[in-house]
Amino acid sequence: MRKIIGIILLDLFALLPFVPGMATESQQWEELFFEANQAYKEGRFQEAVDAYGQLIKSGHSNGHLFYNMGNSYFRLDELGRAILNYERARLLMPRDADLNFNLNYARDQTRDVVSESDGFVSTTFFWLDSLSLHELLWSFVVLNVLFWAIVIARLFSASDGIYYVFVVVLVSWLVAGASFGLKWYHVGADDRAVILNKEVKILAGPDIQDTALFKLHTGTIVHRERSEDGWSLIRLSHKKRGWVKSEAIERIIRIGRV
Amino acid sequence: MTRVFRNSCLLLPLLFLIPCVASAKVSVSLRLDRTEATVLDSFKMVVSISGSRGSDSKPVLRGLESFSVTQGGTSSRVKIINGRVNSGIDYTYFIQPNKPGRFEIGPAQVTVEGKTFSSNTATIMIVDQPQSAGVDRGPLFLSAGLSSTKAYIEDQTIYTLKLNRQVRVTDISLALPEVEHLVLKQLGKPFEYQSVYQGKTYQILEVRYALIASREGNYSIGPTKMSMTVYEPRRRSPRSFFDDPFFSFSTGKPITVASDLVELNVLPLPEEGRPADFGGLVGSFQIESKLEPSEVKAGESATLTVVLSGRGNVNRIPDLKVPKLEQTKVYADQPVLQVEHDDKGLVGSKTMKWALVPEDQGLYEIPVLTVSYFHPQYRRYVRIRTSPHTLSVVPGEPEQVKASADFGSDKALEGPSKQEVKELGRDILPVHASIKDLRPGFEVRPGGLVFWVITLTPVLAYSLALCGMRFRKKSAGAVAATRAKKAANTIVRQYRHSQVRPSDLALQIRNYLNDRFGLSLGSLTPGESAEILRSNGVSLNTAEKLRAVLERLEDAVYTGKAHESCDIGENMPRLIKQIEKEIG
Repeated sequence: MRKIIGIILLDLFALLPFVPGMATESQQWEELFFEANQAYKEGRFQEAVDAYGQLIKSGHSNGHLFYNMGNSYFRLDELGRAILNYERARLLMPRDADLNFNLNYARDQTRDVVSESDGFVSTTFFWLDSLSLHELLWSFVVLNVLFWAIVIARLFSASDGIYYVFVVVLVSWLVAGASFGLKWYHVGADDRAVILNKEVKILAGPDIQDTALFKLHTGTIVHRERSEDGWSLIRLSHKKRGWVKSEAIERIIRIGRV
Repeated sequence: MTRVFRNSCLLLPLLFLIPCVASAKVSVSLRLDRTEATVLDSFKMVVSISGSRGSDSKPVLRGLESFSVTQGGTSSRVKIINGRVNSGIDYTYFIQPNKPGRFEIGPAQVTVEGKTFSSNTATIMIVDQPQSAGVDRGPLFLSAGLSSTKAYIEDQTIYTLKLNRQVRVTDISLALPEVEHLVLKQLGKPFEYQSVYQGKTYQILEVRYALIASREGNYSIGPTKMSMTVYEPRRRSPRSFFDDPFFSFSTGKPITVASDLVELNVLPLPEEGRPADFGGLVGSFQIESKLEPSEVKAGESATLTVVLSGRGNVNRIPDLKVPKLEQTKVYADQPVLQVEHDDKGLVGSKTMKWALVPEDQGLYEIPVLTVSYFHPQYRRYVRIRTSPHTLSVVPGEPEQVKASADFGSDKALEGPSKQEVKELGRDILPVHASIKDLRPGFEVRPGGLVFWVITLTPVLAYSLALCGMRFRKKSAGAVAATRAKKAANTIVRQYRHSQVRPSDLALQIRNYLNDRFGLSLGSLTPGESAEILRSNGVSLNTAEKLRAVLERLEDAVYTGKAHESCDIGENMPRLIKQIEKEIG
């Protein structure tokens, strides 16, 4: 019971920006956002990074802030962190034209050639990559309400018109539900991480004395399998796996966030 | 008819080819397989005639007074490139020098259809063969040599390997020596020729490498090992039937030969006179620049092209940068590096382009770009620079719609000529600075309470609706049961408490049956009533009693005694109780 009350309070807290009394605090964040943009325009990119980071930490985790952060890191010649933030932004606004342009440009600057093949699910549910988790969630929620409304209507009326609407909505509801479920699973199971250092050696084991297997460069996206004692096991393809210091990579999915 | 059509279709492409062949220009070229040889080597020369399948006579060769020439045959060729037919003929010659020196061979003159065409010339350096003092090295040996025993850091030296053989060999493989701080890069494919060593003729297989040292010091290079299968002719008795080249059987055996060590002294680049902008470029380089167009309108772009080319460590050619120009936007293109090689080493060029977009009219001086490199032959640093350029900018046209003088003509309707959109530069797009980008939408976390509330509320609503319907249905049933239970009491009570008239009693019995069995019948015949009782488990006797009562009541009603009391022949309460009992 106490937990439920806690969750309710948390969700109410999320709605606080809409409360008129919180306008002053909202104004402060807007000023910080303005200052960050100004710092970027004047070439003070580190200051811009700090300000955008502060906004993100304060809970303003929208795609535009990650995009701006990626731009600032790009200007600081930190390609790895730029791609990391662009990828985070892409999870939230996958169809943003500016973001996709900059991300492609940043990817062009990376040195390692990494080929990723699309799986069956990605090929079948091809639209998943173009829609964010929240967009799919809202699609599902709307169709869910519509579906059950029609099911309820059918309790009172069994007309042909309602039946056909029911069939159409049922199919849409199933597709939206499956898409949302898959996206939710993919986001939750997203183990991608970005190489942050200019160049890192991937070792055969979690020890500096182990054999160096291959080198990777900043901006390359790898899959992080697990971590042990400050080392992470990464995978590039089925044939290329190895260990790297955990501080040399950062996961795209932020822990505790979607 | 079909055949004629088919043949016409086959011949049609050939008809298109005829003008191409006819229009092909005749040209003659002369090339040597190398630029340096010893007096004991033979080298190959090819005279190529393009645009004609033959000549009126054999080529006339000039500049071969100091050589012995052997005809090596001819070969014809036909190439179709992008629909254009290019035919030609190659004349091959093997040339043996008679004395050392620098010679210019050519031009070769060819007469085609009465017209005389001349080729280019080629230069070759013939050097004396350094003879080993009376050492006979057998029918197979590998020799190695350097173009120079001294070199500078990043300077390229030519490392030459020669497989001298008098026997047939196959399956040749090479193991190059690995020396730290030395890099070997092969220059072209191996080539073969004949040479004389210690009075014996050898077939030479030569391969060359550019050798570049990254650190100073004395290096011993080698031995380089070459493995192969050697076939030695098997000796047979003279006058044998098989004593013919056609039947010269031979057996192969694996052999590895090694070259001698060669010494290379790598010198450091001198500190004296080293320019501040020196970036490690060593060799011989040239720089060229051009500005096209040199006059533009304000807002339009001109292209500055700089080509830095030469021989040496071309991979170290730097990316030049154009300094900031006032009132001019500068967009750098991706530099293009081309690396090639000839028998003297690596050659290459880097082409750099910038789009210059002046914003206002005037004369703009384009700054001179400089590059420094070390010249190993001159043993000093050299600075090369681009030519000065001036960009003349005239006022741009105001953006307004102009009435075209030749309005109505086709040209005016076509508008300006279209062209591919040219990429002038690449960069990221700016940050999103709109304040609405900061404002969050109504965020619902998947798996959160709000999410489950939103998702499950419709399901709950459906469940409630379903329950409500079922409850209503159940309630209707319960009311019916209650009414059924009360039906007997009602009719008995009504019968006892009032003087029952036939019409009322008939109505009460009908209501009793309706209530008791959940029916909603407006009228009931005596037969129907008995039937209802029978179907609900009432005995025939009791059902018939009720039927008789109802028939009497009907008689009373239809005989005008509906409002008078009548004898129904039965104790109604008892009959009802009997019915209730039998329904049980």
